Amino acid sequence: MNAPKPVQRDAACVQGGPATPRLETPRLLLRPLQLDDFDAWAELSADAETMRFLGGVQPRSVAWRSFLFVAGGWSLQGFAPFSVIEKASGRWIGRVGPLCPEGWPGTEIGWTIARHVWGRGYASEAAEAATDWAFRTLGWTEIIHCIHADHAASQAVARKLGSSPLRTTRMPPPFEDEVVGIWVQSSEEWFARHKAATT
Amino acid sequence: MAEPELHTARLTLRLPKIEDFDAYAQMQADAEAVRFIGGVQSRSEAWRKFLQMPGAWVIQGFAMFSVIEKSSGEWLGQLGPWRPEGWPGPEIGWAFRRSAWGKGFATEAGIAAMNWTFANLGWDEVIHSIDPDNHASQALAQRLGSRLRGSGRLPHPYDDTPIDIWGQTREEWQSRQVHASTESSA
Repeated sequence: MNAPKPVQRDAACVQGGPATPRLETPRLLLRPLQLDDFDAWAELSADAETMRFLGGVQPRSVAWRSFLFVAGGWSLQGFAPFSVIEKASGRWIGRVGPLCPEGWPGTEIGWTIARHVWGRGYASEAAEAATDWAFRTLGWTEIIHCIHADHAASQAVARKLGSSPLRTTRMPPPFEDEVVGIWVQSSEEWFARHKAATT
Repeated sequence: MAEPELHTARLTLRLPKIEDFDAYAQMQADAEAVRFIGGVQSRSEAWRKFLQMPGAWVIQGFAMFSVIEKSSGEWLGQLGPWRPEGWPGPEIGWAFRRSAWGKGFATEAGIAAMNWTFANLGWDEVIHSIDPDNHASQALAQRLGSRLRGSGRLPHPYDDTPIDIWGQTREEWQSRQVHASTESSA
């Protein structure tokens, strides 16, 4: 039998885990997933409007697999989208942060916020904290965001974060039917606008 | 709790590591190996599946172990407790690379994982969800002492797949283990 060959992945996508960072913003707490986040996660995953540009709704059993996938990223890659908690209420309101699954077009900062708290700037507030963490702690030199051409709200978040549209690309399976816009920003651009560490 | 690691004569059962992924992806690309467990997956799809086990270890405190051959250090497959959302019961499940078939590795790992599961998870029974045409897995279930209980149903996206539920109770397992250890020490 042949010995397995080494994992050919960009070092940025394998930091070693597990990691359990906590980031705070004025209104939000960002931390890795916990089991009791799942009900709110499943509710978000079942909402057609929220999932419209994210592969469509997922029944609870499928949402569970996605939930474990993100938890596994924290465990083995040392990063993954954070659970975002609204400090005032203690509620789980979404997932925001770094992801770099196999075959992905780059090191992404992504965001998905529950519909009942849309319009409050939470995606931007969480994405800013996660982006700063990814550049400073993960040492990423570039972030991307994969955003559907019709997803104006998400494009606005990317623009506010300081990223710019670069090109379109087809996503890897199981999302191969999706063509998305790639938005991009370098760490140099980020640091030029955010000189002081926010920790 | 410290991360469990189980040892048998030829195998180590430990939590999944990132370096297991290449062998896992090879298994997921082998149509014969995954014929009864969801079919061939591309590497990017395999990655999403692969992270579910380490995720479950963190979130639930148990999941399938990576099964490593001691002599070669090779990843042979995965086996162990598994109970995702909507599953028909507390499963001991398995998937092995084709190169590891026919050597008794799954039985050897299965015994160790059954012992660990009943000792640590408080389960009163285990099940195995097996395709009615998957004779190799049926034989393994029988070697572990499980019996066919009837047909069952898996949650979406596997709800169109016919499935049999095999299983046994903790008492059945423990009475046979006591008997086996008495025999082996006689």
